[in-house]
Amino acid sequence: MKKNSIIYKVILSCIIWTIVACNEDVLEINPTDQYSIETFWVTEEHANAGLTGCYQVLRSMFGSLYETDMVTPNAWGYNENGGLGPLARGVQLTTDPALAGRWNVSYSGIGRTNTFLDNINGINMDENLKISMIGEAKFLRALYYFQLVNYFGDVPLILETPDAGLHSDLPRDPKALVVTQILKDLEEASNVLPVTYGDKDTGRATKGAALSLKARLLLYDEDWSAAAATAKEVIDLNAYSLFPNYRELFMLENENNEEVVFNVEFLAPRFTNNYDQSIYILNTPAPLKDLVDSYLMTDGLSTQESPLFDPSMPYENRDPRLHQSIACIGYPFNGKTTELSDVVNTGFGMKKFTSFSDDISNIVPPNTELNPIVIRYAEILLAYAEAQNEAVGPDPSVYEALNTLRSRPSVNMPEIQNGLSKEEMRELIRLERRIELAFEGLYYSDIRRWQTAEVVNNGPIYNYEGNVITNRTFNKDRDYLWPVPFVQIQENPELTQNPGYN
Amino acid sequence: MKKTLDALCMIGKYYLYGVALQLLFLNLIYAAPINAQGSLDMKEVYLSINLKKASFPEVFSEIKSKTDFSFIYDKKVFEKSRGVSIKADDQSLESILVDLATAHGLRFKQVDDKLSVRLAKAKEPSPAIIVDVTVSGTVVDNKGQPIPGVTVSVPGTSIGTATDLDGKYSISVPEGTTLVFSFIGFESQKKAVGDRSIINITLAEDMSSLDEVVVIGFGTQKRVNVTGAISTVDMDQLENAPVTNSSQLLQGVQGVYVNQAGGQPGRDGATIRIRGQGTLNNNDALVLVNGIEFPLSEVNPNDIESISVLKDAASAAIYGSRAANGVILVTTKSGNKDKFQVRYNVYAGLQEVNYLPDVIKDPVHFMELRNQAMINGGRLIVDYPQSMIDEYREGMNVDPYTYPNNDWFDIMFSASPIQEHNLQFSGGSENLTYSLSLGYLDQKGVMMGSGSNRYSLAFNSTAQVSKRLKIGTNINAIYRNIDEPVAGVQNLMGSILKAQAFHPTYLEDGRYANTFVRSTGHNIFRHPIVLATEGENQTTQQRYLINLFAEYELPFDITYKVNVGINKSDDLNTTFVPDIFIYQNKTGAATRVPFNGDAMSVSQQNRGTRKTYGGNINTTIFNTLNWSHDFNKTHHINSLLGISSESFSNNSFWGQNEGYLGNDLYELNAGSSNPAVTSTSAKSRLNSYFGRIGYNFKEKYLFEANFRYDGSSRFAKDERWGLFPSFSAGWRLDRENFLANVPWISDLKLRASWGKLGNERIGLFRYLNLINLGQDYAFGTNISAGAAVTSYNDPNITWETTTISNVGIDAGFFENRVGLEIDVFKKRTTDILRAVNLPSQVGNLNGPIRNIGTVDNTGFELGLNYRNNINDFKYQINGSVTRIFNEVIDLRGQTIYNGRNIITEGYPIDSYNLIHAIGIFQNQEEIDNSPFQTADTKPGYLKYQDTNEDGFITEDDRIISGGVIPEYTYQFSLNLGYKGLELNAFFQGVANIDTYASLIAAQPFWFGTAVTKEWTTDAWTPENRDARLPILTTFESSVNENFRPSDFWLEDASYLRMKNLQIGYNIPVIFSSKYGISNLKIYLNGQNLLTFSRMKDFDPEKNISGMNFYEYPTVKMYTAGLNVTF
Repeated sequence: MKKNSIIYKVILSCIIWTIVACNEDVLEINPTDQYSIETFWVTEEHANAGLTGCYQVLRSMFGSLYETDMVTPNAWGYNENGGLGPLARGVQLTTDPALAGRWNVSYSGIGRTNTFLDNINGINMDENLKISMIGEAKFLRALYYFQLVNYFGDVPLILETPDAGLHSDLPRDPKALVVTQILKDLEEASNVLPVTYGDKDTGRATKGAALSLKARLLLYDEDWSAAAATAKEVIDLNAYSLFPNYRELFMLENENNEEVVFNVEFLAPRFTNNYDQSIYILNTPAPLKDLVDSYLMTDGLSTQESPLFDPSMPYENRDPRLHQSIACIGYPFNGKTTELSDVVNTGFGMKKFTSFSDDISNIVPPNTELNPIVIRYAEILLAYAEAQNEAVGPDPSVYEALNTLRSRPSVNMPEIQNGLSKEEMRELIRLERRIELAFEGLYYSDIRRWQTAEVVNNGPIYNYEGNVITNRTFNKDRDYLWPVPFVQIQENPELTQNPGYN
Repeated sequence: MKKTLDALCMIGKYYLYGVALQLLFLNLIYAAPINAQGSLDMKEVYLSINLKKASFPEVFSEIKSKTDFSFIYDKKVFEKSRGVSIKADDQSLESILVDLATAHGLRFKQVDDKLSVRLAKAKEPSPAIIVDVTVSGTVVDNKGQPIPGVTVSVPGTSIGTATDLDGKYSISVPEGTTLVFSFIGFESQKKAVGDRSIINITLAEDMSSLDEVVVIGFGTQKRVNVTGAISTVDMDQLENAPVTNSSQLLQGVQGVYVNQAGGQPGRDGATIRIRGQGTLNNNDALVLVNGIEFPLSEVNPNDIESISVLKDAASAAIYGSRAANGVILVTTKSGNKDKFQVRYNVYAGLQEVNYLPDVIKDPVHFMELRNQAMINGGRLIVDYPQSMIDEYREGMNVDPYTYPNNDWFDIMFSASPIQEHNLQFSGGSENLTYSLSLGYLDQKGVMMGSGSNRYSLAFNSTAQVSKRLKIGTNINAIYRNIDEPVAGVQNLMGSILKAQAFHPTYLEDGRYANTFVRSTGHNIFRHPIVLATEGENQTTQQRYLINLFAEYELPFDITYKVNVGINKSDDLNTTFVPDIFIYQNKTGAATRVPFNGDAMSVSQQNRGTRKTYGGNINTTIFNTLNWSHDFNKTHHINSLLGISSESFSNNSFWGQNEGYLGNDLYELNAGSSNPAVTSTSAKSRLNSYFGRIGYNFKEKYLFEANFRYDGSSRFAKDERWGLFPSFSAGWRLDRENFLANVPWISDLKLRASWGKLGNERIGLFRYLNLINLGQDYAFGTNISAGAAVTSYNDPNITWETTTISNVGIDAGFFENRVGLEIDVFKKRTTDILRAVNLPSQVGNLNGPIRNIGTVDNTGFELGLNYRNNINDFKYQINGSVTRIFNEVIDLRGQTIYNGRNIITEGYPIDSYNLIHAIGIFQNQEEIDNSPFQTADTKPGYLKYQDTNEDGFITEDDRIISGGVIPEYTYQFSLNLGYKGLELNAFFQGVANIDTYASLIAAQPFWFGTAVTKEWTTDAWTPENRDARLPILTTFESSVNENFRPSDFWLEDASYLRMKNLQIGYNIPVIFSSKYGISNLKIYLNGQNLLTFSRMKDFDPEKNISGMNFYEYPTVKMYTAGLNVTF
C-alpha cells in the first residue's frame, strides 16, 4: 500500500500540473528567433540591421549582372535564365519569370528602404550617422526604382512602409514622376553621403555612387546638359581613376579598386554567385560574332578598313580589350588553349567577371565571391562624352574623356583624330561604350535608348564561323519595354499593360 | 482452473471479447447435453396393439413391451386418464402415435429411443410428433484449435447449446433441421443435420465482425453502437505485406485516399487524405498513437494492433481544433494475460523499379533527333555536327571508352534486397500484461546510393496495482538511418534522366570519365555514379513516444485517468561534399563534379561538411473522468470529461566547415576554413477542455454529444479559443420487433451526425508582423547583420472551422454474409486559411495568411462486402468507392492564382487554369489566319483557343479544366482460402485526376536531355499530320509556344493498381507442434505488380501537383516470409 500512496501522489501532482499548465498565460508565446515590429527599430543596431537588409537585395538583383547582354547583339544565351532567350527572339510572354523577377526584386528593395526611412527618425542614435544612413537608403531606393523604370516604364511609385491596405491597388505612375523622385533621392543622397568610407564600410553607397547613378539616369533620359554636368561632378570629385589593367580590373584580387564606383559585395562562403560556372562551364552568355567583329584593330580602324586585318587570323592585332574580355578559339584562357568544345555555343567565351586568368589553369570551383561592378569610372567618362557631345558637340573635353579611356595602359588604343562631326563622334562613342562596357548589363539599355534595337536585334545572329545560329525578331511597337508581369496584373487589376502585350 | 486459463489464452483477442459477450447471453439458450446414440426410426418399427379404455401409462407400457422405445411423461398428468382405445394391426409406431396424438391432443417428441409425451397446448400446430436426433462434435478454428463457447443453435427455436472447453458439444435437435454454429469473431456456419450424428466444424475467423470493439477518442466502443463515421484498418488483411511505412497501412480504408509517391527507403511515407481536401493548408490528418500526437510513419507497422479513422465531426470533435482533416487513432500491441508467447515474423525479398520513361537510348539516334528538333524549332546550326555523329557511329565499334553506349537506367537501377525481422514477446498474469517487440528493417534502394535501415522497439505494459488502480506504459522507439546521394534524390534522379548513352562511366584506367560530346543546355555532366556514391549524406532519425498512464476507479462507477505523453524526435543529417573529378575521354581534361541539388545552395557546393540537427519535444498531459452506468439494463449512459495541455517545441542547429584535406574525413573538426553556424527554435501550446455524453436505450436508440474547447498559441489573444461541438444519433432497426422476424437482416443501423471541427495548422506567429533576421550583407570582409520584414501578417486570423454532416447506414444481411456501409456527407470548411498573394509592389512581401472563404467537400462512401464458403473453400470480396466533389463556395469574390492552378468560386481547389490547345497548325496560312500567338509560331505547333476573341493568345484566354483532387477513389480486395491455403489480392484506384507533365523527360530535350520514344512515333511531321503531339522541337526553342502552360500537357493520372498480392499457407499444427510451435505460416507477397493507367512513361501514383516527374521511382516488391508463434 505504501507504493500505491506514492503513485497517488504522482497522480495528484499530474492533476495539479495540468491545471497549472492550462491557464491562459502559457498561451502567450513570443518568437525566439525573430523580432516583432513592436520590438524593433529601437537601437542603433536595429537601424544598422535594417539598412543592411536594404543592401541585401542587391545580391539577388545583380545575381547575373551580364544577363541582359544576351538580349543584344553582344551575346547569346542558351535559355538558362528563364525568359531572356524568348525576349531575345521577340517571343517573350507576360509570364516569363526572368522579367517578373526584375519587377519583384526591385520592389523588395523599395519596400525595405521605405520601411527603413519611415522608422530611422524615431531611433535615438548618432545624428550624423543617421543622416548618412538616410542617404544610403535613398541611394538604394533610387537604384531600385531606376531598375524598374528602365525596363517597365511607368510603375507604381510608393514611398511608404509597405501596407497591403494602402498599396495593393495603386496604379502605375508616369515614368516622369518616378524619375523626378529618383533624382530627388539621389540629390539628397549625394548631399549627405561621404566620398569614401573606411575599410569596414567598403561597398556602401558614396557620394560618387549617387552622382553617377544620377548621371546615368539623366543620360538615359536624354537630359544631356544635366547629364554632362553631373558626370563632370563625379570626375571632379577626383575620387576615381582608371585601373591600369583592363583585364585585371575585374579580377577577384582587385576588388574595390580605384575605378569602382559602386559594386555588389559578395563574400565566400556565405555570399557567392555562380558567374564562373555560368560563364565558363555553361558558356552563357556566349559572345556573338557581331560583337567580336566590332572591336577595332590596333590602328584604330575597323576590321573592314584596317590593313592589319587578316581574315585567316581574325583575332590578331585587335583592340586589346577583345582578348581581355572574350575567349577566342586558339587563344589561351584558364591555363589552356581554347577549343570549340570550351566555347561550344558560339565559338566565343566570356572572360570578364570570371575569376580565371589566361595562364593559370583553375579547375572550376563551383562558386565565386567576385563582386559584380554596377558602376565604374569608365562609364562616367563615357556618359560625360556622350552627354557633352549631344549637348554642345564634340568639344575637347569629349575627346579628352575618350582618350583617357583609350590610353589606359593595358588598352593603349590610338588617340582619336580631331575633327569629327557630332554624328561621327556619336557613333564613335556608341562603339566605345559597347566595347568598354561589354557584358556589364548596360548595352541592352543603350540600344533601347538609342532606338537601334529594332535594327540590331532584328535578324540573324552568327557564330564564330559566320553561320546563322537563329533569327531574332524585335517588335518596335512593343519590345522597347518589358511587359508588366502577368501575375502583377492578376493581383492588382489597376495595373495597365505596356503596349503590344495585349 | 489451469485448463480453463490455457484454453482462454490459446484463443486470442476475438475469443476474449466473445467469451465475455457469450456469457451474457448464455442463459437464453436451452442447453441439454445428451449422450449420443444411434436413433431408432419410428417409421420402421411395426407393431400390433389392441387396447380398450386403457390409461395412458398402460398404453405406453404396452408399446414399450413390444418395441425398443420407452416413454417419459408426467405421471400426474396422465395417471388419471381413462378411455384410451387403440387398435392397430402391424402398423408403424409412427402412425399409431399420430392417431393417439390426434385423438387425445398429445405431443410426442423422440429423443433416441425415448419418447416424451405431453399434452398439446391450445392451437398448437402440427406435427404432433417431433423426432429429435442427437448430434455431437468438436468445433475448431482454422488452425485446429478447439473453440470453447461456440453457440450451437437451431434457427427460429430456443434449442441450443455451447461448446465446452475442449470445443465439444452435443445437442439433440429435431430431425432434418439445420444447425448454426456461431461465435463472436468468427463467421457463422450452417450445417444441415441430415442423418448425421457427428458434425465437426471448423470456424473461420471473421475479420469484420460487426460485434468488434473499435477505438474511439479517449475510449472504445462496440462497433454496432457507433454513431459516427469510423473506419478501421483491417490489420489482418495487411498481415505480412511488406509495409515499410505505417502510413501505407491506410490503403483500402473506405473514405481514405492514400497516395504513395515514390519508394525511397526511409522516405516512403504516403500522403493520406481523409474525405478529400478540406483546407488550402496542411491537409494531413491528426495522428494519435495511444492517445498522443505522433507521426504515423514513425511507428513500426508490426507493432500496431489497430487503427481507427475518425472521418466525421461526431467522432473527431473530441479532438477539436486539429481534427478538421480527420483523426487517425493508432493502438499498439499489448500482451495477453497468462500466456507467454513469442512471435517471430520475417520476410526477405527484392524490389525493382516500377516505372521508368521509355526514352531514346541509342546515342546516334539521340543526336540525330536532337538536331532535327533544333532545326524544327528554328535553329540553323545544330549541336551535333554530322561529322561528330559519323565519328561516333564508327567509334562505338572500336572504342567503348570514348564512344560508349550506356544504358544509364540499367547502370543506376537494380533489383535491391529488403528484409525485415520482427520479434514479439508478450504475456502476463492476472495483474500484469506486457508486450515487448523488436524490429529490424533493412532496405537497399533500387536507385544506386540510397538505402535505409530501421531499428524499432515497442514496450507496452499494464499493471493492476490494486483493485481500483491500474497503471501502464507504452513506449515506442525508432532509430532510422537513411543514406541518400549528397545532392539529394531528386537531383540524382534528374541527372540519371539527363545522362545519355554517350556519357561514359569510367576511363580505361578506372577514373571517372567525362564525355567529349558537349551539348548545349546540358554542359555539365553530373556523373550519376559520382553523385550516387561519392561523399556522404546520411540522416539518422530517432523518435521516441513515451506514454504513461494511470487509471483509478472512484466510487459510483467513475474512472479517473491521467495520461502523460512525451514525443521526442532527434534528426541529424551529415552531408559531405567531396572534390571529385571526371576526366574527359578524349583529352583527359579534368572537371569537378558539382554537387548542388535540392538541399544545397550554390554556396554549399564547396568541399566541406554540413551538419543539420533538428529536434522536437512535445509533451501532452491529459486527465479524464469517465462515468458510465446502466439503469435496469435499459438506459446506458457513458460520459467523459477531460482537460489536456500540450506543448510543442522544436530546435534546429546547422553548422558547416570547409578546408578539408581529402575526401575521407567528414567531421566538422576535420575542416579548417569557412565555419558557419545557424540555429532556430520555436514553441507553441494548445490547452483544451473536452467532454462526451453518450446515451443508449437498450442498444436500440443511440445518442452521443461531444465538445472540445481549445486555446492555441498560434493565434492572437482574442482569436485564440474555439468551441467544437458535435451530436450524433443512431437507430438499430434490427433490434426492432418489426424486423426481428426478417431472417435475412442480421444488422441494420441508421446513423446521423453533425459537428464542427477546427484547423489550426498554419505556421507559428502568423498573427504577428515580424522582422526576419539573417538578411545579411558583407561590407568588404565584414558581414553585417541584416533584418527585414519579409512577409505581411494579419493579426485577426483565427481557426478554420469545418462543419461535417454525415448520414450513414450499416447493414448486414444473411448472417452478415453480405455487409453494406453507406455514408453520405457534406463537409463545409469556413474561414478557410490561406496565404494570400499580394502584388509585389507591396514590398514584394509574402502575403498574409487570412481566413478567406468557404470550401465544400460533398460525397459519399459506399462499401460492400460478401463472404461465404463452399465447404472448405472460403471466399470474401470487399470493395468500396468514395466520391468526393470539392467546390470552392465563397472567396469573397476573389480569385487565388497559384502558377498553373486556380482557386475560384464554383470549382475544385487548385483546378488547372490553362490555355486551351485546340489542335496543331497544319500550314503557314492557318497560322496567319489565326489569332496571334508569337512571332515564332510554325506549322506543326500547337494552336490555342482565343477564348476572349481579342485576336491574341494571352494568359487572358485561360480556361479552367481538370483538377488535382481525385473525384473517385476505390478499392477492392479478394480473399480466398482453402484449408490452410490463402490468397489475398488488394487493388486500389483513383479516377478523374490530372497531372501536368513538365521538365526532364516529360518535355523533349529539356535543356539538352532526354526524349521519350513517343516523340519519334506520335509527333507531327508534314507526312504525319494527324499526330497526337506537335512537331518535335527542343523545349527551349518553343518554350513560349508549344511548351507554354496549356491543357495539352495535362495527363489523366487515373489508375487502377494491384497493390498487394499474397499467397500464404498455414502449416497444420500437427507438423509443427512438436517443436513447440503453435502457429507457422509461410507466404509469398508481391507489391504493385500490376498497374492500369493511361500514363505510360511515369507512375501515375505520384505527387500530383508536383512540378516534376522525376521523383524517386515507385517499386515492385517481391517477398517471401514466415510467421512463427511459439
